[in-house]
Amino acid sequence: MNVSKKDEDSGNLGIFYHLDKTTVLQEARVFNETPIIPRKCRLLLTKIIYLLYLGEPLGTKEATELFFSVTKLFQSKDIALRQMVYLVIKELSTIAEDVIMVTSSLMKDMQPKSEVIYRANAIRALCKIIDASMLPSVERFLKAAIIDKTPSISSAALVSSYHLFPAGKDVIRRWANEVHEAINSKPASLVGSASSYLTSFSTGASSYATQPSTSNINQYHALGLLYLIRQHDRMAVTKVIQQLAGGGRSGFGSSSSVLRNPFAYCLLIRYAAKILDEDPNSRQQMYELLEAWLRHKSDIVNFEAAKAILLQLFLSSPKPTQRFAAIRALNKLAMTHPTAVQPCNLDMENLITDQNRSVATFAITTLLKTGNEASVDRLMKQITGFMSEISDEFKVIVVDAIRSLCLKFPSKQAVMLNFLSGVLRDEGGYEFKRAVVEAIFDLVKFIPECKEAALAHLCEFIEDCEFTKLSVRVLHLLGVEGPKTTTPTKYIRYIYNRVILENSIVRAAAVSALAKFGVSVGDVEVKKSIKVLLTRCLDDNDDEVRDRATLYLKLLEDETSAEKYVKDDSTYSLSALEKQLVQYVSTSEATEKPFDLSAIPKITKAQAEAENTRARNIDHNTTSQTLGGVSATNVINTSITTASRDVTTPTPAGLDQQHVYARKLAAIPEFASYGELFTSSNKPIDLTESETEYVVSCVKHIFKEHIIFQFNITNTLNDTLLENASVVMQPESDDISLEEVLVLPAPKLAYDQPASAYVVYKRINSDEYVLGSFSNTLKYIVKEFDPSTVQVEDIDLLAGDYVLPTYLSDFTAAWDQLGEDGQVVETFALTAMNSLKDACAKLISLLGMSDVENTGTPQSTSLHTLLLSGTFLGGIKLLAKSRMTYAPSSGVTMELTVRSQDIEISRFVIGAIA
Amino acid sequence: MAALWKSFLDWLRSLFFKTELELTLVGLQNSGKTTLVNVIASGQFNEDMIPTVGFNMRKVTKGNVTMKLWDIGGQPRFRSMWERYCRGVNAIVFVIDSADHDKLEAARTELKSLLEKPQLANIPVLVLGNKNDLPDALNVEQIIEVMNLKSINNREVSCYSISAKNQVNIDITLQWLIKKGKGTK
Repeated sequence: MNVSKKDEDSGNLGIFYHLDKTTVLQEARVFNETPIIPRKCRLLLTKIIYLLYLGEPLGTKEATELFFSVTKLFQSKDIALRQMVYLVIKELSTIAEDVIMVTSSLMKDMQPKSEVIYRANAIRALCKIIDASMLPSVERFLKAAIIDKTPSISSAALVSSYHLFPAGKDVIRRWANEVHEAINSKPASLVGSASSYLTSFSTGASSYATQPSTSNINQYHALGLLYLIRQHDRMAVTKVIQQLAGGGRSGFGSSSSVLRNPFAYCLLIRYAAKILDEDPNSRQQMYELLEAWLRHKSDIVNFEAAKAILLQLFLSSPKPTQRFAAIRALNKLAMTHPTAVQPCNLDMENLITDQNRSVATFAITTLLKTGNEASVDRLMKQITGFMSEISDEFKVIVVDAIRSLCLKFPSKQAVMLNFLSGVLRDEGGYEFKRAVVEAIFDLVKFIPECKEAALAHLCEFIEDCEFTKLSVRVLHLLGVEGPKTTTPTKYIRYIYNRVILENSIVRAAAVSALAKFGVSVGDVEVKKSIKVLLTRCLDDNDDEVRDRATLYLKLLEDETSAEKYVKDDSTYSLSALEKQLVQYVSTSEATEKPFDLSAIPKITKAQAEAENTRARNIDHNTTSQTLGGVSATNVINTSITTASRDVTTPTPAGLDQQHVYARKLAAIPEFASYGELFTSSNKPIDLTESETEYVVSCVKHIFKEHIIFQFNITNTLNDTLLENASVVMQPESDDISLEEVLVLPAPKLAYDQPASAYVVYKRINSDEYVLGSFSNTLKYIVKEFDPSTVQVEDIDLLAGDYVLPTYLSDFTAAWDQLGEDGQVVETFALTAMNSLKDACAKLISLLGMSDVENTGTPQSTSLHTLLLSGTFLGGIKLLAKSRMTYAPSSGVTMELTVRSQDIEISRFVIGAIA
Repeated sequence: MAALWKSFLDWLRSLFFKTELELTLVGLQNSGKTTLVNVIASGQFNEDMIPTVGFNMRKVTKGNVTMKLWDIGGQPRFRSMWERYCRGVNAIVFVIDSADHDKLEAARTELKSLLEKPQLANIPVLVLGNKNDLPDALNVEQIIEVMNLKSINNREVSCYSISAKNQVNIDITLQWLIKKGKGTK
């Protein structure tokens, strides 16, 4: 008692400060007292709502008890209290039992003779507590309420119907006429006192003192409901749009037009745009309408219409918010349809000089995306002008945009490079400098012509760079690219300067870079001077620098090991290495043996880079999204990444995926006895269309003797719960030497939460690698209903499923080593293929092998040799060489040679093609 | 002298404080509870009624007596909730359709089980045989017999045969109810 008193004293919020459920429920007894004290009850109801909104859990029993106490408050005529009661009922309606009890009371409150303020609220509360079975009995009242002259009541009825629609479609469909009338109704204020007198004769005119609404929001609600009712009838929707648009065209916003609410117009425009999308026949018509709306007097209507066609009008608007919204929308559009935005280019160029820097930045980036080669020069000039005025974050966006532009128009690289080096000299934080350096890196990588100039700029940059990390990266790049240029000595000077001037980390990097020059440059003079420089480094006061110098000096003397250690392109898959090391450290018996490095898959530098680019793109997406919600990622870069991902399957992402699978399967005790996972199919195979009720995809896991089919099932129906979902697999042929050993159902499938069901087969004969097709049926129990089944598409077990892609750095040596004993050669004519690129991609995925020496992407369109490497189940080495030619008339002709340690396996693999 | 003062004070009090009285109307569906409430409140009889889903609350003022009438739905699914609304009221009014012979049995069982609730002990009960304007309506004695009212001996029980349609015996019903209000003061 003391505490609560203190709370009350401590201010407005104080009452709610130490609220706890038990006390409030105790206090709820005042609802049962006579006479009722409205003020006290209201406060208590407020407390209850406060608790509910805080997320205080309320048991069904407590809620029911409370609910019935609250119903006692219907005896009070206090308006404010009644409103609170409605609110609490609405909140409790989902937790308490028997809420249907208040139906009659609410229905009484929504009668025309009741207080206006009760009616709207009662309607809204009522829709929360009734179900479809009750709908017919309230139909009459709701229909009357929809056409009520009071906007609040009409709105309440419309919105309630909108929410009830899914439950009682058939009933609500019958109300279309009333809804239509609600749209067309004149606002209460215009109709004047006559109608208000009519509706309120029993309660007295005084109660009708609600303010006349001028917003006509009920038109918006009515339109929404009408569309819901008619949505599957395109003709009807078109008719509605035309009808309602008619008024708007004759006199904008004048009282003669039917719709007076801007939101309603927006809704109408959206529906019109939808029809525009779906129905090509009425496109012309709708387009005209949309154009007419562009001249509507309300801004928001304008915007919506413009969004549907184009946003040009707004870019010259005096309001910054509008300009911002427009440019943002354009920016988004530019990502997907650059050509559509092009007509706005001129307007946008004006925006670059906008006061608001966000608008300006968006304008620039959009322009850069849509611009053509000719405009680039002009743009660059403008950007340079304002670069110094914007913050680092925006600079990063601009630099990213420029980077994508460079890649799009390689011929303009000189201008861009000048710009980039210019900004590199400006003041700026790490993030900004990093973006610039990365942009230059990309230029070096993708545009060979600018390499020398770019490297020169970078050299200049590291002369005066305060960021160690960036220096190290630049030095590394110099080490890789420098030796390939015509005058490598030029860079050596820059690098050696670092050795003299910088901190130990940069010095170590510089030493490595120098060594690369020493190894890669053929000139004896250069080698000699490098040796001299490295020898000087031996006196460095840092361990790391000395170590590196010593190592590289030794390597320089030994040609073969230099080849191996300095020039080798391949690297270990880092995630795999990490996993193996963790395993190695955690298991005690393993530590007795030395760590086996050869078990870790190798990947090429190209793959690692592709992965990096991908990560960076994601990174860009997020950074620019935080800035304005629109990504400034360059389209080109993404396409490069995806292209390389397509052909170099599996990329490191694939390997990562495999570890995820391995971990997931290891967690299932039933699978523990099957041993180590050998390989998994690269991408899940979709067995259903993506928009079906239950989406199923399949991943195949190959173990030493077992094959696990993992079915990922997603339930896309938000109102059902599936239980015990399993997949019944039926091999196409009966004499398949596989034995089904285990079916593991997914216990529960809630909406949008994917779960996995498993089917395990055992290969009866371990020397036979079974191929075949399986028909699949999804079996499940819908909660509280009968078990059901769904037929999904077939799965094929392919030869490629038994192969683990492995990377190999020296294909020729391995090829020769395997010899011709296990070799099978066959020639195929692939008439269906219409390019070598397709053929390579198809072959890689079919055989489940990894391409080596960058042969995954054909350089020529007519002739190509593809080299593949993989490991067959049981650790058998497998190599393949495919020489292919392409002619438009005959498609792809291919000679495939497969070598392995076992000729049977070679035969088996080659059989995969036929 | 003191007695005189007291009666004077009582008179003064009655000027300022009205008697409030809380009643709950229960009974099987279609027995005429809501109709009766309408007749008591406004004197109007309306034949066209829809079943009460849940409850209706009406406040009626007669002279200086204010009656709060809780009119509870009679369909089976609401019967379990009768008790909640009968707690602490001045009187329970149990309405039956005296012309619907098939449902009398059910009405008797419902009344019996309602009165067995410990929470409702000692609350007076008024049984009203409604619709006595219909041809085969039971009279008061028959109702008392059929409803087995004689067996109730732990509380005050009264029974009237009324007609909400023709407003027969509504006045004596009201008198009985108002007396309950005064009696408990």
